[in-house]
Amino acid sequence: MSALYNALFRNNFQMLGVVFASAFAFEMAYDTGMNRLWDNMNKGRQWKDIRSRYVEAEEEEE
Amino acid sequence: MASLNIASRTLARGVSRSCTRLNVARALSTSAQLNDAAASSGSYSSPFKGEPKSTKIPDFGHYLNKGSANTSLLFQYFMVGTMGAITAAGAKSTVQEFLKNMSASADVLAMAKVEVDLNAIPEGKNVIIKWRGKPVFIRHRTSEEIDEANKIDIASLRDPQADEDRVQKPEWLVMLGVCTHLGCVPIGEAGDYGGWFCPCHGSHYDISGRIRKGPAPLNLEVPTYEFPEEDKLVIG
Repeated sequence: MSALYNALFRNNFQMLGVVFASAFAFEMAYDTGMNRLWDNMNKGRQWKDIRSRYVEAEEEEE
Repeated sequence: MASLNIASRTLARGVSRSCTRLNVARALSTSAQLNDAAASSGSYSSPFKGEPKSTKIPDFGHYLNKGSANTSLLFQYFMVGTMGAITAAGAKSTVQEFLKNMSASADVLAMAKVEVDLNAIPEGKNVIIKWRGKPVFIRHRTSEEIDEANKIDIASLRDPQADEDRVQKPEWLVMLGVCTHLGCVPIGEAGDYGGWFCPCHGSHYDISGRIRKGPAPLNLEVPTYEFPEEDKLVIG
């Protein structure tokens, strides 16, 4: 525990770096998680899900 | 009259003040009598009866921190740091979304560039395409036309500009088809100089799109364009 404290929060600049690094990691994790949730809730309704049908159809027409 | 009034008012005030004082005094005296009565009835017990016991300091050992001081510091700074991290991420994404909002949307970007296949344009022919709502002239010039454009004394022009400054490749002349006079669309392969002629007010442009005769003040404008491949032109 003490080692963890010394590693993370001993100095102010240390803590600032840890906070910004964790903010970066948190944002990435949060964004990917929320995007996955959104895609999961709208499965089969987005353009990227149904694109294959129409693009193939266009190619067949040509 | 006025002085009398004031005098009577001050008198009245004095009387009322003395009355309230009297009332307060009476109230105090009555409450004291009541207290005395309660004490004399014998039901009163002092809260300080077991006084020696109450001065003993209780044992707080159960509540004391068993670990080192850094354990609780770690927890406190962890909470503060987590809050800071979430706030920083939120602030960053707020600013980012606002800035994203200001950038051009996908449909605007899709209209901003036009790609032309130059193989489809034979030598000595004009092509007019639409770019950002405006016509763009593309002419595949012959070598005679290039020579003709280079032969002209630049100093004699109204808007002096050399032919090399107006083209990237001499055989391809690309310019906006908007007359610099009042914005009509000039007609190709017409006019006194073998170039373009504006039917609205009679401006004549030569084979390099430079103004030669008529009311227009400037040469036809050249848009930004590039040749990403040998036979491909991208305007915009």
